[in-house]
Amino acid sequence: MIDISRVQKELQDCEKDRDSSGIRVCPKSDNLTRLTGTIPGPIGTPYEGGTFQIDITIPEGYPFEPPKMQFSTKVWHPNISSQSGAICLDVLKDQWSPALTLKTALVSVQALLSAPEPKDPQDAVVAEQYMKNYQVFVSTARYWTQTFAKNSSLEEKVKRLVEMGFGDAQVRSAIESCGGDENLALEKLCSG
Amino acid sequence: MVSDSITNASASAAPSPRDIGKKKRTNRSAKLKQSKLGLRREQWLSQVAMVNKGENGPNRKSGNEKVVPVENLDGKRGGGEEANHHESFMESISNSPSSILSGINSIPDFSSGSSSGSGGSCSGNITEEEDAADADDDGCLDDWEAFADALAADEQKENPPPPPQSREEHSSVIKQSDVVVRDDVKPTISRKQKSNQAWRADDKLRPQGLPNLGKQRSFPVMNLHFNSAAVPSSCPICYEDLDLTDSNFLPCPCGFRLCLFCHKTICDGDGRCPGCRKPYERDTVKVEASVHAGGLTIRLARSSSMFCRS
Repeated sequence: MIDISRVQKELQDCEKDRDSSGIRVCPKSDNLTRLTGTIPGPIGTPYEGGTFQIDITIPEGYPFEPPKMQFSTKVWHPNISSQSGAICLDVLKDQWSPALTLKTALVSVQALLSAPEPKDPQDAVVAEQYMKNYQVFVSTARYWTQTFAKNSSLEEKVKRLVEMGFGDAQVRSAIESCGGDENLALEKLCSG
Repeated sequence: MVSDSITNASASAAPSPRDIGKKKRTNRSAKLKQSKLGLRREQWLSQVAMVNKGENGPNRKSGNEKVVPVENLDGKRGGGEEANHHESFMESISNSPSSILSGINSIPDFSSGSSSGSGGSCSGNITEEEDAADADDDGCLDDWEAFADALAADEQKENPPPPPQSREEHSSVIKQSDVVVRDDVKPTISRKQKSNQAWRADDKLRPQGLPNLGKQRSFPVMNLHFNSAAVPSSCPICYEDLDLTDSNFLPCPCGFRLCLFCHKTICDGDGRCPGCRKPYERDTVKVEASVHAGGLTIRLARSSSMFCRS
């Protein structure tokens, strides 16, 4: 049985200072077991300017067990899988404490973005690049940020898809049916 | 004057077996005792002067106020039995006055330690009473008190004693708290049986009513902290409101508070404090258990130690 009241209060608290922290947590489902966290990329890093979405699953034992967190936005980072978005962070594993909250955990993830730990990698390829060829790493991470973590308006998405040769009305309905996800809309347009 | 009161007292306390031949000895020893009392009064006065300089009065006073009833009770209760011990006490005085005097000399040192036994504080207290009442017919009480001092002096000689230990107690507060808690928890069954004995600070049968200066000093400190320290209104884990028991519950030296339910859940799991991630001490948990049986006072003693630590 999940402690619903705690999750609800956490959501309220998070909502209070979302303007100052830039961190948001929104419920995905009615029973509050699946949530979406949003963190801005830290300033002064290759992730600056991006907005990163994190899938949160609240386990049965929460808050005595850590919440499960995974990037749904693609990120180029030594401690985040470039394939699955899995996060290698101690506070989400053995260093979790019930005194932590979803918001503090997201703050920790944000801190991880500004301070990678290539010696304890989640993505070996990225970690190797980070250690051996830092400049290439920075430009790759920045490119991924620009490509996957930029919030673009509906018009920009429509414009890009129309430029690919699809019809305007067709593009708009595809984007709408995919909940605003540009890549899913593109897949749909290609298949349909 | 004192000698009169003493003979009256001993006569009234144990009328028949005492013969007149002993009166002389009694008088002599009474003189000795008078000089002893004079000495002690001087010492006590200087001690009080020191204390008044060093500390603020209220603590001290409250200590004395607490002492008075207990001491009186014991004195009266011990009155009957005391007559029997009277002789031996007199002998000890006449045989070895020096030992007693040396014992007296060591009293200030004894009572300046934080957890002085009844010896130091009681004697001071009695002298004060005597000052006020100017030796009215309290001979019985005088005898009792002197006897207790003699005992204390002897005991002190035999096992050299608490002062350094009591100072240690202040530095390592954890220990002190444990000691305090145990003292409080212990039932005082045999208090009446040995009412005419001087208590040492570490005596197991020591009545809990007797003041322990170390404890008393820790209380006001604790109260200050207790009022000023931020006790969260709700449990940081489950966000439920903390009730009185919960808000007096401090399971970890780091000061992280939580409700008993969450503490239980954590102890069933990995048993680490959410605040500092260190494992909860098993001893602490045990003490907590006894605390619930013990009541509010003991909990306060515990939390005082917590605050001293933090």
